[in-house]
Amino acid sequence: MKHAPTTIVYDDVAVEIESAEAEGGQLWLTTGDLGRATRFEVKPQGVCRDSLCFPLPQAQRQEFLRDKAGKTWFNLTAFARLVQQPVAHESAADFSAWYFGLRSDQRQQLASLQAPDFTLPDLDGKLHSLSNFRGKKVFLVTWASW
Amino acid sequence: MKDRNFEIITVAEDTRGAQDAGPWMTASMLPLTAPVMSPPPAEKIRLTHTALIDQEHLVSKLYNMINVPTAVWINEQGRIVRPNETAYVDDRLKHIHGIEATPYIAALRDWAEKGDKSAYVFSEERLREKLAPQDPNWTLAAAEFGLGESLYKSGHLTEAIRHFKEAQRLNPDSWNYKRQAWLLSDPKRDYGTTFRDEVAKLNGKRYYPARDLPGEG
Repeated sequence: MKHAPTTIVYDDVAVEIESAEAEGGQLWLTTGDLGRATRFEVKPQGVCRDSLCFPLPQAQRQEFLRDKAGKTWFNLTAFARLVQQPVAHESAADFSAWYFGLRSDQRQQLASLQAPDFTLPDLDGKLHSLSNFRGKKVFLVTWASW
Repeated sequence: MKDRNFEIITVAEDTRGAQDAGPWMTASMLPLTAPVMSPPPAEKIRLTHTALIDQEHLVSKLYNMINVPTAVWINEQGRIVRPNETAYVDDRLKHIHGIEATPYIAALRDWAEKGDKSAYVFSEERLREKLAPQDPNWTLAAAEFGLGESLYKSGHLTEAIRHFKEAQRLNPDSWNYKRQAWLLSDPKRDYGTTFRDEVAKLNGKRYYPARDLPGEG
């Protein structure tokens, strides 16, 4: 078991977690840290955020949840497998970083032919969402300086 | 074309955001929109479209894009009507890639005019074919690339390079993963290659896939 500052990148937002535990390629967080890093909460009906809710398979509950030192811990890597989310990981002596990519439901959006929504800043930092342009034809084009 | 309920959104896929993309988001970006909109007065240059910065390459991730410039057409109901396609709207780089902007601009104008009735709008069947589920390796590649970007930003360049290489291995079709990573360090030293070397290796194979326009392909 390793204790080093852990960075979790979830929905492209990086959050530092002090007390994450990595063992055997599994990442365990307290349910409090789970909320901080992912905004997901463990509820009786499943692991939920806003209107999204993923029920945990009852038979394998101990794969996802355990009680230790007076706290409830959640296995974020097991959850990633459940929601078919790719995970990339790097650890060194003094740090550890975990990246959680797009869940299966997010990747399936394209197949519905509906344009996946996003919110991004302009040069002044003002945020714009694709969904705000509903009612107009949108020519969406990527470019890069490189 | 603003009056035809037509909006242009450009998205800069740059890990270092405005630091790299910013200098381009001024006068030099005007040719991008000039063919479809009237140019602003020379003395007061201001972008007239929605120009966004995407440091995490979210749009490429969500839409499975592997190069730039890539465009998607989205109708009034928020549905994709024409999927990922090389989208040059001016001839500034034509001497390099040989792609003519004129037919593409004509297609765009037709769509702006006729909407879903435009001949350039894809049928649902063809869209479904084009927007088929992603190769699982591409899904993993996106996570490796994302981790690489995060490590780069936190000052762990050596580790970042390792994950950028893994992304490039898992999705060798993505020029985004190659060119962005190369920009963040010395490509010759860290990746044993350069853009010029890689283009030479194509040996006549296309750098950009053919567009889906009449008489092309």
